[in-house]
Amino acid sequence: MTSRVRLLAVVFVAALAALLLWAPWNNPDPLNQGKQIYLTVSEPRCAICHTLRDAGAIGEVGPDLDALKPDQARVKTAVTNGIGVMPAFEALTPAQIDAVSLYVSTVAGKKK
Amino acid sequence: MIDEKWLSDKAPVCSNRRGFLQGVAAVTAGGALGVSIPLQGADIVAGASAQEAATPLPEYVKWKNPDAMIVHSDQTLETRRAYTGSVITPEEQLYVRNNIKAPDDSFIADRDGWKLEITGVKSPTVLSVAELKTMGLTTVAMVLQCSGNGRAYFQEKLKGTDKAIKGTSWALGAAGCVAWTGVPLKTVIEAVGGASPGAKFITGTGGEKIPAGLNPKDIIVERSVPISNLDTVLLAWELNGKPISLAHGGPLRMIVPGYAGVNNVKYVAKLSLTDTETDAKIQKTRYRVHDMGTEGSADVPSVWAMDVKSWVTSPLSDGKAGRVTVAGVAFGGMNAVQEVEISTDGGKNWHKADFVGPDLGRFAWRQFALSTELEPGSYTLVSRATDATGKTQPEEPELNAGGYSHNGWLAPGVKISLA
Repeated sequence: MTSRVRLLAVVFVAALAALLLWAPWNNPDPLNQGKQIYLTVSEPRCAICHTLRDAGAIGEVGPDLDALKPDQARVKTAVTNGIGVMPAFEALTPAQIDAVSLYVSTVAGKKK
Repeated sequence: MIDEKWLSDKAPVCSNRRGFLQGVAAVTAGGALGVSIPLQGADIVAGASAQEAATPLPEYVKWKNPDAMIVHSDQTLETRRAYTGSVITPEEQLYVRNNIKAPDDSFIADRDGWKLEITGVKSPTVLSVAELKTMGLTTVAMVLQCSGNGRAYFQEKLKGTDKAIKGTSWALGAAGCVAWTGVPLKTVIEAVGGASPGAKFITGTGGEKIPAGLNPKDIIVERSVPISNLDTVLLAWELNGKPISLAHGGPLRMIVPGYAGVNNVKYVAKLSLTDTETDAKIQKTRYRVHDMGTEGSADVPSVWAMDVKSWVTSPLSDGKAGRVTVAGVAFGGMNAVQEVEISTDGGKNWHKADFVGPDLGRFAWRQFALSTELEPGSYTLVSRATDATGKTQPEEPELNAGGYSHNGWLAPGVKISLA
């Protein structure tokens, strides 16, 4: 192999690696965004009411989400409309609600 | 709603006072065939999903009978229909509905030491459970029922439409009949000088600690009921003869006989005679009866007195033709239940059922039973109760946005096949 070809191969592999590392499907951001909403953005904080081990939250008011294991649609409906004691989270944008719904439904019940 | 092909075209032979087995040949034939009929007709309305069936009991109710409970969440556990037929519901089978998480065991560490603040009286004071126990004693048997019991039937009715009712999908099992022991509130109020002038409501506040970062009014379990209930309200420390468990509101619970579950404030820490209803969210906007598409407010009725209601508890699954005893429970809420009728053809033909078992007073439920001869076929078992004021269960109650107070006779029908 000529040195030029070798150089091209290295650049190609490096570019491929960069693409894979920063590809959307390898981006931890969607779950992390949801986690941040759970812990610091929602008002009141999800973490105050709901136990969710992945977030390190021990809730004192609402159902334990690790036990409930709600699917994404269920979380979205509850956060959007409220239910029982839980208020409707009108200050969260639709994108934020999607993010926290994805997060909760993905991690609930997973960590022991 | 009822699938017409399941309605039997055979009129049942009603039990008369001599009613005895007929159609022995039919029974023998059925038995000889040894046919195994797949289960149908059990209460399968939304609520008893596979996941709920598999969910283990939460820690604080680990002592309950796992076979008897449907775990909707760690705060909402429903009694399976087959377990709702006892004259008194054993605690191991009793449903649980908590609006906020149950407190920890520290609440019942010193039961007699639990303090109740009493205000809105001539001499406001704080009394311990030990002191309350010196003041008087009563025991009341009553139906404890979540206002949302039957919501699943409302939700079922809305399937396929663009409307929905949110909330736990209770079918029939958010109800039990239990005996509370405690002191009449009236006795306590008299002992502290009587009500303040202008007092119109009895307001009870639960002793749960509200976490920081939340608006207390949104979370606090504080309910007001009309002061006319002073004749019947008790402060209870015992359920079915045992100190009340944490799950059911120990060490002290405000009991309002005839009123929906939410008004029976658990671990009551404050008891006030007030001139207005509390403005806590759970009273002001929640637990109100209002039309679909509207919001709860102080302008619409609060979920207070319960209505006449009944349901069949046996049989709930397919079986042998011949002698069948259709049984269930019936109650009138604030008034005694007077009569129960049963139909095995989904409401076409009605027959009067007998009350069986003891009469435990107007707030308790009664068991009813009707023995009858049923030929092989498909049946839809329904019951319809009438209370002492002449009020009868409707076929279908009016929809309301919260899905409260369902007491229709049609929806809880049990479809079975006999062979």
